[in-house]
Amino acid sequence: MRHIIIGGSAAAISAVEAIRSVDQTSQIDLFSDEETPLFSRVLLPYYIAEELSKQLLNFRSLDFFDENNVIAHLGMRVQEISPDSKTIRTADKNHYEFDRLLIATGGLPIIPPIPGMDKEGASTLKTMADAERIYNFKAKKAVVIGAGSVGVEASISLKRRGLKVSLLEQLGQVLPTVFDEEASSIIRKSIEDRGIEVITGEKATAFKGNSHVTSVITATREIDCDMVVVAIGIRPATELAENAGIEVGSLKGIRVNDQMMTNIAGIYAAGDVAETYDIAHDMININAIWPCAVEQGHIAGLNMAGKESRYAGSVRMNSIGNFIGHPAISMGMIRAEAEKPGAEAGEEFQEIKKSTKDIYRKLILKSGRIAGAILVGQTQKAGVIGILLKKRVDVSNYIPILMSNSLNFMDVLPLIRRNADKFKEPEYKELMHAGL
Amino acid sequence: MEVIMVDQEKCTGCHQCELWCANEIASVSKELPLAINEDPQPVPRVYVEGKRFALQCRHCLDAPCITACPNGTMRRDPESGLVFVNEPTCIACWMCVMVCPFGIINPSSSLKVAVKCDRCRNMEFPICVEVCPTNALKLVERKEVPEINL
Repeated sequence: MRHIIIGGSAAAISAVEAIRSVDQTSQIDLFSDEETPLFSRVLLPYYIAEELSKQLLNFRSLDFFDENNVIAHLGMRVQEISPDSKTIRTADKNHYEFDRLLIATGGLPIIPPIPGMDKEGASTLKTMADAERIYNFKAKKAVVIGAGSVGVEASISLKRRGLKVSLLEQLGQVLPTVFDEEASSIIRKSIEDRGIEVITGEKATAFKGNSHVTSVITATREIDCDMVVVAIGIRPATELAENAGIEVGSLKGIRVNDQMMTNIAGIYAAGDVAETYDIAHDMININAIWPCAVEQGHIAGLNMAGKESRYAGSVRMNSIGNFIGHPAISMGMIRAEAEKPGAEAGEEFQEIKKSTKDIYRKLILKSGRIAGAILVGQTQKAGVIGILLKKRVDVSNYIPILMSNSLNFMDVLPLIRRNADKFKEPEYKELMHAGL
Repeated sequence: MEVIMVDQEKCTGCHQCELWCANEIASVSKELPLAINEDPQPVPRVYVEGKRFALQCRHCLDAPCITACPNGTMRRDPESGLVFVNEPTCIACWMCVMVCPFGIINPSSSLKVAVKCDRCRNMEFPICVEVCPTNALKLVERKEVPEINL
């Protein structure tokens, strides 16, 4: 069996580990655009902030490829997949054969159609080259466009490097796809407390300057700067797949079945490039987060190695760590209201909120099951809510317990016991009889 | 692998396990009278939940905290199977906290690392099991290891 993996990040490396857990001998060739191996993309802001050196960005040790008997082609772009001949062609015009192929090409930063995007001093933040470019810009004042996770973290990293920073978001709040207004306002304050100017509800319309960017223009103001970081989101990198006739879904990600296989037998996709079943939203979605990429790569890898394995689905989860400040976690749906129009008849949404100073907690229920949760300030037990979401447990009678600041695992043990068929892992089973 | 189990019949909710875990594992002084005055205050890795349910990391067979960790800080000891935090590389992103189904990972705001039980993997015997006055905590071999998916 010959395996080829395109990509070198979370899903790809997880797939390698999964294949090797079953099959130690088959050849694995891994191709990555990145010359730097095994770095964690989500840590690039930490690198820019000088919080982590380059070596500390690694999520696996540098001998990973040797240890796992992987032929790593780093900095080598794959240019074509030929499903009929089961080959790929690389930028250096070599052809490689495969029996099983994994497309883990991730996402590409969305470049907004703003005049002046090509000026010096403007960059996206996705690749190691982007991070190095931003790190090496000799700038004093930065504008970061887009207050998603990458934008917020980029702002903080530049602030830590001593730059003046303005964070510009066209929607009305920071982290608009991750938190609701209430949670966002608490997080916004912690960003502003770090000395970052946060401007929401305004859109960049142009970047001014001759060769180098000198300001960002919005409808109401001109913000002087000598650096712009554009972080308005990512889209799945599907070009290779599309050119090979691999099916892409309505969200522009690669469609896969629950074994992470595309419409072409033997070709798999995982991570930010793939559309998967979203448990919380009960629909196909792209949940482009690290843990989902690792999970999907794992399932893909097992199936590639011939061990049948099915993916229960993904749940979007985001965590605000110490880098940004005030701890906050969100998972699944953010707002019940926004989801309602598409809801099927008979589905009942419920939103329960509780807030005190700097602590905020919200649950979204759909027909008695958790569809989303937001916890700000007090987050240690977030995963207890998360597992009930993932396992689709009816929590109708447990709302006061789940909303309590003193929620703990023991409180939900009776519920887990009642749903024992969904909790078959040994770590749950062995607790089933405790606490009676 | 061996995991720590609590016998509900025997647990009196005395919190001795918490106290000695914090002293032995978390404190600098390792001396109770000094430990209680340390700043940051030593925190335990075991939690007495409800009235009598001492819970610590379950060392999940397929550990979501390892899956979620973006830089390999959360690791499994290949020999013992125990899951542990490699504290020097923890960046306090709290991704592990987000996914721990048992809620036993403490996002320590003072230490800025994820704090959890490693079943005293570098000691001869887990301290909570050792100090439990009623033997409610026991080290038990995990019997069943079924095939599972994520």
